Amino acid sequence: MKNWQILLVVALSSFRTEPLLAHGAKIQYGNTNAIIIRATYDDGTPMKQAQAVVYAPNAPTVPWMKGITDHKGQFTFIPDPSISGNWDVKVRQSGHGSIVSIPIQKGLIASKNKPEVAGVKLLTNNSDLTFLQKIIMAAAGVWGFLGTALFFSRKPVNEKK
Amino acid sequence: MKYNFIKSNTIVFIFLFLAGCSGVGNTSSNTSVMESQGTLSLVANGEDFVRKGFTTKDGWQINFERVEVTLGEVTAYQVAGGFNPEKKSLIKSHKSIQLLSDSKTIDLAKGGESAKSILVKATQVPAGFYNALSWNMLPKMDSAFADGRTILLEGTAIKGDRRLNLLLGFNQPLKYLCGEFIGDSRKGMVKTSENTELEMTFHFDHIFGDQTVGAEAEINQKALGFEPLANLASSDRGRRSLASPASERVPWARQPRQGRSSFARQGTSDNLKLGQQDLSQKLSLEAYQKLENAIAGIGHVGEGHCSIVK
Repeated sequence: MKNWQILLVVALSSFRTEPLLAHGAKIQYGNTNAIIIRATYDDGTPMKQAQAVVYAPNAPTVPWMKGITDHKGQFTFIPDPSISGNWDVKVRQSGHGSIVSIPIQKGLIASKNKPEVAGVKLLTNNSDLTFLQKIIMAAAGVWGFLGTALFFSRKPVNEKK
Repeated sequence: MKYNFIKSNTIVFIFLFLAGCSGVGNTSSNTSVMESQGTLSLVANGEDFVRKGFTTKDGWQINFERVEVTLGEVTAYQVAGGFNPEKKSLIKSHKSIQLLSDSKTIDLAKGGESAKSILVKATQVPAGFYNALSWNMLPKMDSAFADGRTILLEGTAIKGDRRLNLLLGFNQPLKYLCGEFIGDSRKGMVKTSENTELEMTFHFDHIFGDQTVGAEAEINQKALGFEPLANLASSDRGRRSLASPASERVPWARQPRQGRSSFARQGTSDNLKLGQQDLSQKLSLEAYQKLENAIAGIGHVGEGHCSIVK
């Protein structure tokens, strides 16, 4: 190898700012929104080491994630914020099991009261009202206010006469 | 003018109120002709406990020849957010389909050890996710034995050198309200032109217990076991051969299936033939209450529990 080639290799190598290490490891950290569920039996005993399966709303029959609950019966997952809708989490152990449907919008629970697994029973507060029913209820409320305002703003009858 | 205004205002308000209320609660589906449909196959599953037999919590080896349940008024529901039976409430759905209106008796032991779930009825339904199910356990009127029974168990129970030919009839009509099927896969999701299952599961280990899970397991704590029933068996030792088929012992009994109850040696056997009324009279109050609760608890959807309406 010619001298100028050797010098070029040495020169390029000297531009490395990080040492070259075998078996290096990096740890990074940051904030995110995780969903925690807790599974217990009817008597309140945690479902330890139970199978947990998460289903995303865009593919409800295909497991999105599988895992195991911890010693408190808890299982944590981070939903894909780009997939909004009802995320279903199933927990099973020794012939017992339940499933909870968690409404999630942009990675956050779309509900005032957070669903919680209680005794393999996951408490949801989803209303069974349809969108149409909600619109009609809102319209009824508005109409009530409007009607009341119009009633009190009417002209006295004797003034017309 | 004033009264006309109030009248029109009131009429509009009432109309909106009624329109908002409509559709709340249970609603039957008004299936459009144009709505896409698929097939929902209702199946009943007694699991391996029924098909292959099992050992009770007190050591009796049970094998069934016949396990009959009489079902009726089976309805599948689509519930926003799912139905939680632990809340002990009624099912509030935005769509419901009755899959079985009349009563039908199903033999869960039919088909042998490798049999799949028993098909009850296949129905064309609108596509969607049927994540709740209800059904009734109805009495079967049959003068042969335990008239009005909802469940019939026929088979053998063996422990040590003792063998019982069992024929038990339970009469506990009730209604199960269940959420989504819980198992290896999800069931009840009907897609256009496709066939999917919806399963009623019956856990007979809840009555007798299961030796494989240990004495401390919840199921064994709540189960009656078999010993209290075995103590009620009528003794006719030495009269019959262990190898004699069930049909020789009781006229309405079926022939045992191949590979089951095949005692090669000669010996003695007792008969355990009891209906619900016999059990209520012969069992202790505590044991009978345990049995009643255990029978009520056999209805599941896979591993998912159901609430009970008596």
